[in-house]
Amino acid sequence: MRQYETAFLITPKLEEEEREKLIEDMAEVVKKKKGKMVNIEKWGKRKLAYPIDKLNEAVYVFFHYQGNPDIPHELQRRFRQTEAILRYLTLKKEAQIQTRKKAKPGRKSKARSEEKAKFAKEQEMDVEGEKENGENPPEQTPEVAPEVTGSESGIPDEVKE
Amino acid sequence: MAREQRERSSYRRYFPPKRKYCRFCERNIKDIDYKNVDILKRYVPERGKIAPRRVTGNCSFHQRKLSTAIKRARLLALLPYVED
Repeated sequence: MRQYETAFLITPKLEEEEREKLIEDMAEVVKKKKGKMVNIEKWGKRKLAYPIDKLNEAVYVFFHYQGNPDIPHELQRRFRQTEAILRYLTLKKEAQIQTRKKAKPGRKSKARSEEKAKFAKEQEMDVEGEKENGENPPEQTPEVAPEVTGSESGIPDEVKE
Repeated sequence: MAREQRERSSYRRYFPPKRKYCRFCERNIKDIDYKNVDILKRYVPERGKIAPRRVTGNCSFHQRKLSTAIKRARLLALLPYVED
């Protein structure tokens, strides 16, 4: 089961009854294919940012549903067949977005503190007349690095054997 | 401000003129929805072009999300491709 979101635009030329019928027909596709309709969003008539087929308005409808990939496939096939639909867009919603949590929240404050440290160092260096040393990272980092790589390479070897 | 800067030149080092930041990171937004036209419009000034990162100050993650959202909105005629 996947989460999908399908948006489509219907021409304003259709009468309200016809339009509702069209939406219901499309919603039935989801039902028939054993999908679960989460909700239907209707924005109603809305001005288009640019004319499509010489029309300046369209009816926006959004389907949010769960189901197998054959549902959006079928929906798209139907959208292409019906002339009343101007545009459609189907998106698969990701359940979880992978983000690097560690780097994000502290980035600003970290960068600031680093900058401050740099400035402080530079000022010290200015007095001594040596600027190049201030940019080099502290000596501790190279010492830590080989230990980490060693342990990392050690684990897969054991697994392989 | 100006007087202080003249007095000590190092003042600026501690307080850079204007700091840009990612407004999406600040509010801890992970997804940028293409339906949210009001937010997207802020990043599409006048000509309808997507504002570059050096202007918006967004982080690369959110700038990427933003640009895809704008492009999706354009497809559905929520935003213009070109505006003159």
